[in-house]
Amino acid sequence: MPNLLPLVVLLPLILGTSLCFWAGRVDSPARRRLVAWLAAAVTGAAFVLLLSMAPAVFDGKTLLGGVQWVPAIGLNAYFRLDGLALMFGLLISGVGLLIILYAAYYLHHDDPAGKFFTQLMLFMAAMLGVALSDNLLLLVVFWELTSVSSFLLVGYWGHRADARAGARMALAVTGGGGLVMLAGIVLLGQIAGTYELSQMLHRGAEIKAHALYPLTLMLILVGCFTKSAQLPFHFWLPEAMAAPTPVSAYLHSATMVKAGIFLLARLYPVLGGTDLFEAVVSTVGLSTMVFGAYVAVFRHDIKSLLAYSTISHLGLIVFLIGLPSPLSAVAAIFHILNHATFKASLFMTAGIIDHETGTRDIRKLGGLFRYLPWTATLAMIAAASMAGLPLANGFLSKEMFFAAALEGQQNFAFGVLVPMAATFGGICSVAYSLRFIHDVFFNGEPRNLANKHPHEPPMFMKAPVALLVVTCIAVGVMPAITFGPMVYVAATAMIGAPPPEYHLAIWHGFNLPLLMSAIALLGGVFFYFALQNKFNLHLHHPRGWTGRLVFTRSVDGLFAFASRFVPLLENGSLQRYVAWMLGSAVLLGLWAWTQGGAPPVSGKRALLAADVPALVAWALLLLAGAALVLGHHDRFRAVILVGVVGLVTSLTFLALSAPDLALTQLSVEVVSTVLLLMGLALLPRTTPRESSGGRLWRDAVLSLAGGGGLAWITWLMLTRDHDSISWFFLENTLPKGGGANAVNVILVDFRGYDTFGEITVLGIAAVGVLALLSGWRVRKPTQDGAGRDWSFKTQPLMLRMAARLVLPLALVASVYIYWRGHNLPGGGFIAGLVTGVALVLQYMAQGQSRADNILHAGDGRRYTRWIGSGLGIAWLTGVGAFLWGRPFLTSATGHPSVPVFGELGLATAALFDLGVYITVVGATMLMLSVLGAASKEPSR
Amino acid sequence: MMPSMEFLVATGIGWIAACGIWLMLRGRTFPVVLGLTVLGYAVNVFIFAMGRLWSNAPPIVGSGQPIADPLPQALVLTAIVIGFATTGFVIELALRSRYESDTDHVDGEPEDQPGPTT
Amino acid sequence: MMGLLDQLPVMPVLLPSLTAIVLLLIGDHGGGEHNLRKLVLSSHISIVSALIGLVIAIQLMVQASDGDLMVYRMGEWPAPFGIVLVVDRLSAMMLVLTSLVALPVLLYASGGWSGHGRYFHALFQFQLMGLNGAFVTGDLFNLFVFFEVLLIASYVLMMHGLGRERLRVGVHYVVLNLSASALFLIGVALLYALTGTLNMADLALRVPLVTGPDAVVLQVAALLLLVVFGFKAALAPLSVWLPATYAASSAPVAALFAIMTKVGVYAIWRVHGVIFGDTAGASANLVEPLLLPLAVATSVLAVLGALSAQTLPRLVAWLTVASVGTLLIALGLFEAPAWSAAMYYMAHSTLTGAGLFLLIELVAAQRGEVGSRIEPASPVAQPALMGMMLLLAAASSIGLPPLPGFIGKLMLLQASSGHAQVVMVWAAVLLVGFATMLGLARAGSTLFWHVRSDLPSGASGASAPLVAATGALLALSVAMSIFAAPLQRYTQAAAAQLLDRDAYAAAVLGEQGGAAARTTRPYTGDRGTKP
Repeated sequence: MPNLLPLVVLLPLILGTSLCFWAGRVDSPARRRLVAWLAAAVTGAAFVLLLSMAPAVFDGKTLLGGVQWVPAIGLNAYFRLDGLALMFGLLISGVGLLIILYAAYYLHHDDPAGKFFTQLMLFMAAMLGVALSDNLLLLVVFWELTSVSSFLLVGYWGHRADARAGARMALAVTGGGGLVMLAGIVLLGQIAGTYELSQMLHRGAEIKAHALYPLTLMLILVGCFTKSAQLPFHFWLPEAMAAPTPVSAYLHSATMVKAGIFLLARLYPVLGGTDLFEAVVSTVGLSTMVFGAYVAVFRHDIKSLLAYSTISHLGLIVFLIGLPSPLSAVAAIFHILNHATFKASLFMTAGIIDHETGTRDIRKLGGLFRYLPWTATLAMIAAASMAGLPLANGFLSKEMFFAAALEGQQNFAFGVLVPMAATFGGICSVAYSLRFIHDVFFNGEPRNLANKHPHEPPMFMKAPVALLVVTCIAVGVMPAITFGPMVYVAATAMIGAPPPEYHLAIWHGFNLPLLMSAIALLGGVFFYFALQNKFNLHLHHPRGWTGRLVFTRSVDGLFAFASRFVPLLENGSLQRYVAWMLGSAVLLGLWAWTQGGAPPVSGKRALLAADVPALVAWALLLLAGAALVLGHHDRFRAVILVGVVGLVTSLTFLALSAPDLALTQLSVEVVSTVLLLMGLALLPRTTPRESSGGRLWRDAVLSLAGGGGLAWITWLMLTRDHDSISWFFLENTLPKGGGANAVNVILVDFRGYDTFGEITVLGIAAVGVLALLSGWRVRKPTQDGAGRDWSFKTQPLMLRMAARLVLPLALVASVYIYWRGHNLPGGGFIAGLVTGVALVLQYMAQGQSRADNILHAGDGRRYTRWIGSGLGIAWLTGVGAFLWGRPFLTSATGHPSVPVFGELGLATAALFDLGVYITVVGATMLMLSVLGAASKEPSR
Repeated sequence: MMPSMEFLVATGIGWIAACGIWLMLRGRTFPVVLGLTVLGYAVNVFIFAMGRLWSNAPPIVGSGQPIADPLPQALVLTAIVIGFATTGFVIELALRSRYESDTDHVDGEPEDQPGPTT
Repeated sequence: MMGLLDQLPVMPVLLPSLTAIVLLLIGDHGGGEHNLRKLVLSSHISIVSALIGLVIAIQLMVQASDGDLMVYRMGEWPAPFGIVLVVDRLSAMMLVLTSLVALPVLLYASGGWSGHGRYFHALFQFQLMGLNGAFVTGDLFNLFVFFEVLLIASYVLMMHGLGRERLRVGVHYVVLNLSASALFLIGVALLYALTGTLNMADLALRVPLVTGPDAVVLQVAALLLLVVFGFKAALAPLSVWLPATYAASSAPVAALFAIMTKVGVYAIWRVHGVIFGDTAGASANLVEPLLLPLAVATSVLAVLGALSAQTLPRLVAWLTVASVGTLLIALGLFEAPAWSAAMYYMAHSTLTGAGLFLLIELVAAQRGEVGSRIEPASPVAQPALMGMMLLLAAASSIGLPPLPGFIGKLMLLQASSGHAQVVMVWAAVLLVGFATMLGLARAGSTLFWHVRSDLPSGASGASAPLVAATGALLALSVAMSIFAAPLQRYTQAAAAQLLDRDAYAAAVLGEQGGAAARTTRPYTGDRGTKP
């Protein structure tokens, strides 16, 4: 029933998490039990589902199931169930069940149960997903999900610093490794042309022949080694021991740390078997095995000891996978199961000890046998298995490991070293197992315990341990009928072919492996007691550089570097940012010049001879500019000079056949000058000289480069003739645009949409000014702190003079300008400005009180209404065309076909222009009146 | 000999742009505002000049004489209006921030002497 | 005769414009907190309008997904002489994206922020008008105009709520943008001077014809535009302005601004990707040697910024820049598959970024005095809710599966595998993801685990509407990974459509002969010149 396969993952992923979260929202004893039960039920369901599919798998079938997700990138939710997947699936859900039972009693009553089990469900789902994925990208998805969920679980007691650090480190190493692995998987997929294992598994040969195979292999191995805590990435695992013990027992012994090994086994047919693979994998595995075992002896924290032992056993399995012979593959599979059983139980006993005595520090413990006889017994059996003593399952796989080591020595340069190293590893593992038992349960009395009278834990806390320990023995005595079949199908799935004849049994007769076991046993006992007696093991302190130290130092270093480096660039100086923008413009311009294209030269266009007035204006311009640069510190003078520049600008427009521009420029000129003067009235009158010499030079270079470049480009363009689409405007302005003034017709018709946007901008600006300054009043002192004078008194006078004359004229003028616009220079915008200025002069002349009244008419709402109406008129005019099924802003004259509205032509354009006019008046008035109101003297 | 109109315009644009950039790089809001205005002038003339220079050729059709390229002129008009809007806005923004931070330095760096308050 | 449905392409501009006008006519609550009736009315109008806008945008996207370009001729003038709006798959997608961000943000803002200043909703609508206008226009100068519309609105919105820091940064933001606008004008004018046209489709045909010495000047113009758009998109080294600006803005505004950087990216796409793409003759693939390295630099600098961030807003702001970096890396590969990845990633990063900006304000509000500083504080009122939302958003911006961030990066990895710069691209994408993970893991564990019970925790939970608005954005990003397949098909087609310049020209310049259009003539000044 393949279609049920996805359920195995979906049950915990969706049902499990949501149920646990829902039930855990309230924290009561009843709810805590409920949460645990729900978790157990979901897990059990997954387990049963897997069992129900087991027969098919044992018949050698491979079940497939799932749905497409993003086929275009090869990411699909396809699952597979073969021997290997089944074994891991059962391991994950089975051990999971025991862990949940254990955790239900382990968790303290103020540890939120909902949170714990929700995260546990998430992790289990992710882990099952890894085991059951047929699509490699999907596997990566679940892979990273395990990293995230383990981050949450390790950080479960987040108020503790070690938990936070451990969680972050675990995420960084395993998650980071996952990113590297992703690269490898993508490469693999590109080589194989598929991400589906079911299609990839029998393409091993061509993949291994590919040029990118070594790179691919290395990238994927990084992922596996980080996850399975192999050298040099092992250091995160001991740190992760800050997690609650059920988590350690589950993630860090039985399941997650095996994910890397699982992937090695999973991809063995695709990647395995090459010299590179064997060299790297077995070397890393063996060295990890020895290193972990040796370090474990010296750990004082029980969990830390177990963690290093786990590292070592994982190394052992990796080593076996790295060996060529299929039998070593069998051994690897077998040891995966064995290690899961005894290590999980040991972690749980460690948890019990912690739970009962309040400490995990071996140096404080001792002689606990009297208090916890049952726990002690269970622990001893499990430890025996860990040490590889006969009758326990650990013994069998250890034997096979020794055998493999012996056989594998011809693959290595210094082959003899391999069995020797293996034996040394064996010695150490006996030693630390012995230490765990002897130092904790015997070796005198408890040394200063938090809890003076430890006692046996509740029965259900021991039950899972007992179950696992029984398994250890059962398997140890009769492997063939317990794990045998499972190992067979799993190994078959791993190798991709049935393994050669072998039989799991205790007794293989007297042989070298047996001898090595004996040496390991005796050596281990001797080693431990020697350490204990010669120099007190309890006083040992690890020192020097550890992987953990390197990692934390480099991460902290990265943060520190960032904090030093970024402010160097982002120093919050506007001057620098502007300089960078203009500078990059200049640089890119130069870059274009250097891109090999023929350097541009002056063109052939016939030039206009300059006349004397032009020369005068030009000289005036240069002088004004120079005066501005040198003398801008006197702000009043600066404003006047800017006015001069503006004046010359409009003269230029006038002289060069752009009367509309000249008019507009002039009127804008007036209004902005008024604005500047009003603003200046509220600002210091002078600009201090504060730029350093270096900056002045930089700015000078930048300005001249920018200006020079612009001048050069202008010259190039002005000396060339040009092609343009403008012929169209000239041809159609009169017949279709209904006006003689091409510029104005473009503005209100051909490109009326631009004008619509443009007046919108004007309106927004005015409203924005209101939003900025609304209800804000300046108290103007006559002098500021630096003793600089504030507002100059002359301004109102001249305004009063002007206003009287200007207003009536201005109104007449603006009406005139407005109407002629369509055929002659002019138009709504200029008219609006003229009116605006006149009104402003008027209202300023009448004094601040009047201004107040105007403004207090609803906090400037009057003018926002004008703006709104102006824009509204323009909008309606434009949309009016819809009525005749025309697009936005279609003016009627353009289309004589429109019935009845022959005369509409001028009307629509004029109406649109009216909108412009009103908007401009409103905006101008708003800007000026807000400023005027802000600058009024405070009423006393 | 007499320089050409094109030369005057090109150099004029360049010079004014240079002055504008210089002012924009000052440390106080007021010169920066002036700089933006001045640069605006230069840019407007530049756009206009991109239709090349024409004398006695106002863009009024039907007058019989040649006609300057009207499109850049229309663009300049739009640019002028937008420039006007932004100038007006930035002036008043400068004011507001000057009173908020007691200084008219663009980076709000506090002055040695405390300025007046709102 | 056009039916109303034919008027659809202009609606994304006209609708917010009308709404804003109406809001101006209604007036507002006048600064103070009094007279909130108008404020409520305004926010209702604003939200309803945004809702309609979303419907319109989706309708346009549906139409665009058939692959035919919708060309809308303003004033019924033929292109390239009049202004045209062109809605293709990409612009339709941008419209939908804008609406999808705008709606939740409006809901959120109506929960309080909109009252902290004047005419918030009107300005917000103007902002939308500008954004949509920029996305649908097919005319380069018109693009400038709508840039100005959205910018001037953004100036005010950015300083919404005022306060010293906002104004200080606001001055920077405004001045920098005004300088950029000047460069924009110079660039556009130059393009006109050399090609004689402003219409994008026409430009794509004219640019290849510019050869010899003139080509150099043309390239200067294009590069000036790159500075402008790169600045808007926060391309290094012009990205340093962004974090302070976004961090100073009020949460809803910062969230809305998540789409603003994308306007710059969009413009680079249209101008440097299409017009100056591989068919641009002497100027072909002009920015290719620049864009990829700069994009990599952008994301590296940004992730360093994220690691250096001491406050949540700065962290998220830098992450926004980092996502732009990734996006521009994909764009800088100048290949259809990479562009498809870029579009998908753009949608994801916009939604996630907006969601994050809202979320961190909710979190900060529950941390008492400490607020948004990344330091131990009293436990938040809603640890589970906030924690889950943050985990979701963080994981997605890191690029962890199964979230869209992962899918987008996966698409990018696959698309770039054949490229010459594959090593640099992969290294950048993966390392940046790794560093982001370090930064966010630290921030997250400090926020939710490293709690100080000694501090008073009087914080109350966030109100339902605020949570809903935030959750909506994050939910959208999750939906993106569930429906990744159809979205991927869409972006794939959109990328292909971008590169099909002939179809674009045929649709826009139909009457002028499409790809063979001869639209410009030597300009001699006497009216009625014939070719």
